[in-house]
Amino acid sequence: MRAGAVILILLTLAAALAPLFLPAPDALDLAARFAPPSLEHPFGTDELGRDLASRLLHGGRVSLAVALATALLAAAVGTGIGLVAGYHGGLADAALMRLTDGVMALPLLPLLIVLAAADPAKLGVPSEAMDSEGFAVGRLVMIIACVGWTTVARLVRAATLSVRARDYVRAAVAMGASPARIMLRHILPNIASPIVVATTLSVGNIILIESALSFLGLGIRPPLASWGNMLTGAMDVVWSTPALAVWPGAAILLTVMAFNLLGDGLQRALDPRKDAA
Amino acid sequence: MRRLFAALLLTTLLAGQALAKDELVIGITQFPATFNPAIESMLAKTYVLAFAQRPITAYDASWQLICLECETLPTLENGGAKVEGKGIAVTYTLKAGAKWGDGQPVTSDDVVFSWSVGRHPQSGVASAELFRRITRIDVKDARTFTLHIDRLTFDYNAVNDLRLLPAHLERSRFEAAPAEYRNKTAYDQDTTNPGLYNGPYRVTAVVQGSHVVLEPNAYWPGPKPAFKRIVIKAIENTASLEANLLSGGVDMIAGELGLPLDQSLAFEKRHGDRFTVVTKPSLTYEHLDLNLGSPILADVQVRRALLLALDRDTMTRQLFDGRQPVAHSMVPPLDWVHADDIAQYPYDPVQAAALLDAAGWKTGAGGIRANAKGDKLALELVTTAGNRSRELVAQVLQAQWRKLGIDLRVKTEPPRVLFGETVTKRKFAHMTMFAWYSAPENVPHSTLHSDAIPSAANNWSGQNYTGYVNPAMDRLIGSIETELNRPKRKVLWRELQALYAADLPALPLYFKADAFILPKELKGLEPTGHQDPSPYWVESWRWE
Amino acid sequence: MTRTIAFRLLQSLAVLLVMSFVVYGLMGLMPGDPIDLMIAGDPHLSAADAVRLKALYGLDRPWTERWLRWLAQLLQGELGYSRLYARPVVEAMGPALLNTALLMAASLAVALVVALPLGIAASLRPGSLLDGAVNLIAFASVSLPVFWLGLMLIVVFAVELAWLPAGGMAEVTGDGGGTLAHLVLPVAALALAGIGQYARHMRAAMINEAGHDYIRTAKAKGCSPARVVLGHQLRNALIPVTTIVALEVGGLFSGALITETVFAWPGMGRLIYDSVMGNDFNLALSGLLLATAMTLVGSILADLAYWRLDPRVRRTP
Repeated sequence: MRAGAVILILLTLAAALAPLFLPAPDALDLAARFAPPSLEHPFGTDELGRDLASRLLHGGRVSLAVALATALLAAAVGTGIGLVAGYHGGLADAALMRLTDGVMALPLLPLLIVLAAADPAKLGVPSEAMDSEGFAVGRLVMIIACVGWTTVARLVRAATLSVRARDYVRAAVAMGASPARIMLRHILPNIASPIVVATTLSVGNIILIESALSFLGLGIRPPLASWGNMLTGAMDVVWSTPALAVWPGAAILLTVMAFNLLGDGLQRALDPRKDAA
Repeated sequence: MRRLFAALLLTTLLAGQALAKDELVIGITQFPATFNPAIESMLAKTYVLAFAQRPITAYDASWQLICLECETLPTLENGGAKVEGKGIAVTYTLKAGAKWGDGQPVTSDDVVFSWSVGRHPQSGVASAELFRRITRIDVKDARTFTLHIDRLTFDYNAVNDLRLLPAHLERSRFEAAPAEYRNKTAYDQDTTNPGLYNGPYRVTAVVQGSHVVLEPNAYWPGPKPAFKRIVIKAIENTASLEANLLSGGVDMIAGELGLPLDQSLAFEKRHGDRFTVVTKPSLTYEHLDLNLGSPILADVQVRRALLLALDRDTMTRQLFDGRQPVAHSMVPPLDWVHADDIAQYPYDPVQAAALLDAAGWKTGAGGIRANAKGDKLALELVTTAGNRSRELVAQVLQAQWRKLGIDLRVKTEPPRVLFGETVTKRKFAHMTMFAWYSAPENVPHSTLHSDAIPSAANNWSGQNYTGYVNPAMDRLIGSIETELNRPKRKVLWRELQALYAADLPALPLYFKADAFILPKELKGLEPTGHQDPSPYWVESWRWE
Repeated sequence: MTRTIAFRLLQSLAVLLVMSFVVYGLMGLMPGDPIDLMIAGDPHLSAADAVRLKALYGLDRPWTERWLRWLAQLLQGELGYSRLYARPVVEAMGPALLNTALLMAASLAVALVVALPLGIAASLRPGSLLDGAVNLIAFASVSLPVFWLGLMLIVVFAVELAWLPAGGMAEVTGDGGGTLAHLVLPVAALALAGIGQYARHMRAAMINEAGHDYIRTAKAKGCSPARVVLGHQLRNALIPVTTIVALEVGGLFSGALITETVFAWPGMGRLIYDSVMGNDFNLALSGLLLATAMTLVGSILADLAYWRLDPRVRRTP
């Protein structure tokens, strides 16, 4: 867990401080394409003579932002569904859990491909809104969150079921508190730790999914850099300049691992009974 | 006599060499969907079938129209073609000895059958233009027939789109249910039937999605090809394709459907000792279509300034090793109607700045130009996602224009969005980058004529996406189409290119080059640079 | 139990039906259709050609109508024609299905053969150096972007060392050895990505079992440690692991898409991707539904396995 936290802090620091000592990620120099590492360019340059280190860090910002936003959104949706299902039980529970089962059964990657290829304009999204870079990122977040909420929903439902039976919840019900209040005030704080753990663990997974989608050309698109689409570009020249492919991949590996270690550590710390599984 | 001797010598050499290398494995990036020559147009199919199917006419490597499956090219001069009313009658004689792979001769009946398939509305033929223009076919004998074409154009004798189908195998399948023909054709249900192919090779095995095996056609009347087997492997991922070449999984990569140019150039640097990289500038015209309806780009001075501000020479030199010539109009240098003496826009930032100042775009806050009203000189470029070199070029354009205070935003869309919606319905705000792929001496009617501007009213037909209207251009296009005299036509073509360069409805970038990666031992393969692929001349490929 | 299974099957059918509707709708939301793309690629294609071709392929109809027609066809056992492959869907899908099954089976086998012993070994001495190493390997393996791993494998083994082919199915000269050589790298990539997960699950299940009373009893009775571990602990620990493997199989089926792309392996993942991107409705739907069905069947099998293997569950049906 410490290792994970340290890696993440270092990465965040590097991404934040990058502009101070590295050239801009879009400053191109056609005379210095595929340059080897040097003092000026610590990791060398890419196919347009841009500083690779700088692009890695900026790409990292995008990849991390997408992953964190998606994880939070998915956790929020999952928590809501899990709470309602677990608290109300009965028909609502049955319906929501069947929905969860259904979504879990869907083949993830092909479905994401279909979603990513759909045209938001046909859903009535105005074209001005679609043009912004924020929209592209937001859209990816929505798409992945659409299928990513199920784990949290199941966890939350199970936890809610056990918490609901406790005395203080019963007391609150007896005192006439509204279901919304009970869920938010009394149940949620008591089931927060599994949610935090599951969310942390999902970040790594989402980074992998984002990079896979960007790699297929369906996620973040150039000129905005992300680790996934940097790999797409590197793929063509992997024989002549393998560094271009090695670094973004290594960055993904390192970050995902850091999140997984962190999540695992959190799990141990918050729930000592359960071993990592 | 000396020539004959040389030919004999060559044949003996070939026979000896064929023993050394019987099998040639070619890598391409796409697997053909259907094998039927008439249905759907798709580059992978055209490429594979070029080994096994010969059309009546085609363009050769020097971009001249020639006969492949006919004896001589009929012309007005040699009497093979005769003007009749508004149209023309063209008489062809099929090549002597031409046979399908099952020994049946290729006959005029096959031509008539192919035409009847092509003109049937439910057959699934992609471009029916030629079939509509042919109003009648008179069969003189088994090998001679006359096409009656309803209009008189300079390319009256080019029937490249009339792909031959074997009537003895396909007629019953077609006539049973024309609407079902595209599913029931023997080319897909019985692909290895030798009778389907009239070229030097025939398809002998197909592994869906993986590879196609070709073996010599016993009944091919022409010179014997050198290889006993040709295997065409489809590997979509270009990095895997390159790895296959290096590990010996494929012998060569076809330029028609091969690696992107920059990847090929990087390859050449490292493996130039084992492989030859042949590049040939093609007629694929990479350009920026401008939306002339936008207030900024409606001003021709701004369009000229934009082009002057681009250092296209440095761009093609640094990115493409100078292999992709800078374009000055849509007519490529290899086309015989290409004109040199038209306005060219070499890199000149000073003049570009002067033009922009004169047009009212003065440098403002943040270094971005703005006009008197305070509008910024900000443009948006849309291009295809997933095309590496286009994405790179877009970013270079962005950097170069930024130097002159022009703000460019780059947006990429998947091809299906770009061509299905944005470009075809003229929804791009300012400019879009893509390529036109055409035939030699292709008249730009659909891209420049004012009657070809897509709109809701004409059901979004036509490809004049810029919205360019110039009566002089319309007139020129009309007269070129019907001018049969070559020198006169060349003069008209020069006028058209000059007008295009002056008006700049689109900004020319360069002509794309196809890169063929060939083993040193492979000789005789000549890239064509247009849509008729190199295997039409596979008989002259050899291993030395 | 029979009732439960019948219910689960019905539920699966409902999921499939909804899925087909949603996918059809989503594909309808994709901009442009194949004919539009054809026009862009071919300046000779006129507007009249486009209208004719759209009508021919039924693309001028609203998608709900096309879906209903497809459903009616399906109920008659007819999957229709694939436009991209120009042959019946069954014929287009058959070989891809076999290729993917081969890849899946091989990589799953390799992953389990490596992962299970690793997990068991790690569980025997929690906190030891070996446990730490296995843990690190497991974390690295679940954190690897599989396409990048594939790429790196190609660089090292296909290009630098030239030991193995970089991609494709089989040498066209076609003996069995060719297929085997082509399998090595994609199987290695998929297996490496799976090892971590299985090893962690195995370890966790083993440790979980170790805490149970029956293990202590067995030890107290004087059973040899090997017998305790292999005979009692492992047997029970395999139950949750089996369930997880069964759940994974369905996902593996379409999840190999990226691996198949990198290694040019003509399998189901590729087929689904190409058919979705190419707007080949018949093929895309059949492929996606099959993939979904695999996951559903996997989860039912997981339940069944659980039921068969765990006597405690069996006693309370």
